[in-house]
Amino acid sequence: MASTDKPADTEYRSSLSTPAQAAGVDYFKFDVILRFFLFAASLVSVVVMVTGNQTKFLPFPRPAKFRYSPALVYFVAALSVTGLYSIITILASLYALKNPALKTKLLLHFLLWDALILGIIASATGTAGSVAYLGLKGNDHTGWVKICNVYDKFCRHVGASVAVALFGSIVTVLLIWLSAHSIHNRVPK
Amino acid sequence: MEGQSKGSFNVMEESERNGKGRCGSMVGTCDLVLRVLAFVLTLVAAVVIGADKQTAIVPFKLVESMPPLYVPVAAKWHYLSAFVYFVGANAIACAYATLSLLFSLGNRRKGMESLISVFDTLMVALLFSSNGAAIAVGLLGLQGNLHLHWNKVCNVFGKFCDQVAASLFISLLGSITFLLLLLLPHVFRLKQTT
Repeated sequence: MASTDKPADTEYRSSLSTPAQAAGVDYFKFDVILRFFLFAASLVSVVVMVTGNQTKFLPFPRPAKFRYSPALVYFVAALSVTGLYSIITILASLYALKNPALKTKLLLHFLLWDALILGIIASATGTAGSVAYLGLKGNDHTGWVKICNVYDKFCRHVGASVAVALFGSIVTVLLIWLSAHSIHNRVPK
Repeated sequence: MEGQSKGSFNVMEESERNGKGRCGSMVGTCDLVLRVLAFVLTLVAAVVIGADKQTAIVPFKLVESMPPLYVPVAAKWHYLSAFVYFVGANAIACAYATLSLLFSLGNRRKGMESLISVFDTLMVALLFSSNGAAIAVGLLGLQGNLHLHWNKVCNVFGKFCDQVAASLFISLLGSITFLLLLLLPHVFRLKQTT
């Protein structure tokens, strides 16, 4: 029992004094790359969603816009927040690459905020996905007719945007795993 | 014997380990309580929406001149695919909460703990996305959408909608519990390092 505890304690001390030395492999470069992916995904999905407006003449003009549906408005707002967050954390991550003494504390903060962002982006994906599915298939029981046979371009944009947001939420899950793994290596229990 | 000699060898280390042990046991207790809470909340959410069924009499006009026909129309939770996804996600989270509770009661090894935290992250994502999906459909049912001519249904099926809203609220609490489960050990570590 004592023999298993001892090296952990010495490592704990050394990680307090020199954090950069204690880490076996440095994952911060992967962290920056993944955060860049998150930024790209949120930017692309917001742009694709916003540019999806389509007007059909049946026979008078009937536009389809994302802001007609509260679910899609929430989606755009949530992904804009995610994009801003990823810019801020890319800067923080780059700062930590230059300034290794901050890394352990920064990793813990990253993990907390990443988990909140995961909640936001996952709920936004679910929200927009369910509304897009209703638009694609309709629902006989409630009498909600499908609209994707009329607004084809709008539906393609919404679908692509949801797919990119799904990729973004997978990236967020990977980011959390990465932070948890490097904290596990850095700070023993 | 070995512990005694070690204790006399370094008093500081012993006291530090005691402090850490107390903090660790507190994390363990919070973890257990939160896991039981998550199990109960997701189970209740799944059962409340699973038992949701209502039949309403709706006036239905065939011809303008004749008096309307009254037709019974049923509303069930599995008519909407978003609710099916919601029930599935809650059932999975409930089963996972039971399994992880058993594992964390059984033995606390380091590998098992990180595996549990990996699956906790997945459960947070799953529950939040299913909550988002069900809330979007519930809002459509409550308010409808004028632009798409999707009429609201909650003026007819009042009890059905109330039950869906209750289930959504409980499931939201459950997903926040999973979020806390994911964050709690790391918050304690943050306190330790500072």
